Amino acid sequence: MNGDRKAEITLGGLTAAFVILIPVFLLGRSAGDIPPEHVPMDAVFNTPTTVRLSAAELIESEGDTSGMDCYSCHTEGAVPTLHKDANGLVAASTNHLDLVYARMNCAGCHKESEEVDLEWDDNDNLIIPPHHKQPPMRHGRFGRNNDCFNCHIPDKLNKVRTRHGEEFELKDSTQLCVSCHGTSYREWIQGVHGRLNGHWDRESGDFKRQDCTACHDPHSPAFAAVKPAPKPYRPHPNSASPGAEHP
Amino acid sequence: MSNSQESPARSSRRTFLAKSAAAASGLAAMAAALAPLRDLDDFTNVEEFLRKHYKELTPDELAQRLKIIEQKVKERHDVEAEVKALAPMDGVEFVYCLNLTRCIGCRKCVHACVKENNQSRSPEVQYITVLKMPQGTFDLEKGDTEYQPAAVPEDGSFYMPVQCHQCRNAPCVQVCPVEATWQEPDGITVVDYDWCIGCRYCVAACPYFARRFNWKQPSIPKEEINPDMSYLGNRPRPVGVVEKCHFCIQRTRTGRYPACMEVCPTGSRKFGNILDPESEVSHILREKRVFVLKEEAGTQPRFYYYFDI
Repeated sequence: MNGDRKAEITLGGLTAAFVILIPVFLLGRSAGDIPPEHVPMDAVFNTPTTVRLSAAELIESEGDTSGMDCYSCHTEGAVPTLHKDANGLVAASTNHLDLVYARMNCAGCHKESEEVDLEWDDNDNLIIPPHHKQPPMRHGRFGRNNDCFNCHIPDKLNKVRTRHGEEFELKDSTQLCVSCHGTSYREWIQGVHGRLNGHWDRESGDFKRQDCTACHDPHSPAFAAVKPAPKPYRPHPNSASPGAEHP
Repeated sequence: MSNSQESPARSSRRTFLAKSAAAASGLAAMAAALAPLRDLDDFTNVEEFLRKHYKELTPDELAQRLKIIEQKVKERHDVEAEVKALAPMDGVEFVYCLNLTRCIGCRKCVHACVKENNQSRSPEVQYITVLKMPQGTFDLEKGDTEYQPAAVPEDGSFYMPVQCHQCRNAPCVQVCPVEATWQEPDGITVVDYDWCIGCRYCVAACPYFARRFNWKQPSIPKEEINPDMSYLGNRPRPVGVVEKCHFCIQRTRTGRYPACMEVCPTGSRKFGNILDPESEVSHILREKRVFVLKEEAGTQPRFYYYFDI
């Protein structure tokens, strides 16, 4: 009799517990299933465009080539005067900025519909972001190749010249670069230096080699630092990674 | 005798009630335990259940399977996709080379890969991990995956992207109990997402942390889906299966470069056919001092790193 009573109490208790748990389980499932945060992907980080346009690409894309018309400002035949800054480095005139901007490939860094915040200084002058300024002449280490007329021709500004005297149009500047950078040129021809786009199987389709100036600014050829794409989103911080913290 | 006759009659009402209550709660508990089945919208049918392994499918059966997958993509994502099953090309073995001197750690490859290969955006699945390494060591324990400075590269560091190395002696293939992952003749280790049982042995076996498991149903915004799909490649994956880099099989088997290579702004990444002596990768393997990651693991990767200006 005592045993039956105990069994009844146990069964009754279990029944009550189940009955209470059923709605908790059924409702709890749908309420607890919150999807994790969606991290939208920025199109800038997966576009295969280069950050610059080579002169050839600029002409091909029917971009603003007015900056390449040297004699709209300079007098033909006259040798322009070079200005040097306090450190004795050649400082290019800010009048060349139009050309600098024309050679920038906006899609390489900005989204198509991106709104850019402009900043102004105390005198109401637009503050130009560092990436948009013409970099100071920094070709070669120790400032050994910072003279404009190592490559440009003083009395033929719309052409460039190798140290052996061979002359090229601005759009063919790759031939000028390779007159010094033989190793890079050989590897570029092989496809090992620089970026290739298109087809690895040359029979299936064409491929594109970039001109030197599509990636390097000839006046400051070192690759400019860029903003990295976002780090991986982790629902839990990765304790193995040094300095790791949840975003 | 009378006692024994009385006793079941007396206790029958009580036991009946207790047993009914127990049975009712038991049934309710079972119903609650089976509740997740309510969410199972693509329950497998007999035809699906009795399907053959990818390698045993006849061309007709394969075409039929591709149609089914296209339908499923349409139902799940509302996208008209073309799912292909491209065969490996003759005389082709793919190899990847990566110049660590040139890599600036911008992670563009990671995101181009996500876009091309329809990886889940939420939760995030990424095939490429970029390690920021302090100069002077190859201790992977010191690699930082969480770096987020204003600009890269940072002084004193080099960057090492790691993805599937498409090993010739692949531990992931050896441990798979159901042969859901195998090596194709062109060197790509592929996964059949319909055959994978989600045991994650391969994830544990891979020394390069290259395999990813879909812990949740992958979600991709409709407008971000790449409709150019491949059976063994970038078709949308179900929950509970393993996926990994497949050298953009849907691109490379049609002769194109992989997405991560095309997007690299510095040209650090090189891809091609090692059996073609004129290819970029052949040139690199001949001329540069290449090395493989974790050589001591004996995996013989098809992914080579090198330092070179």
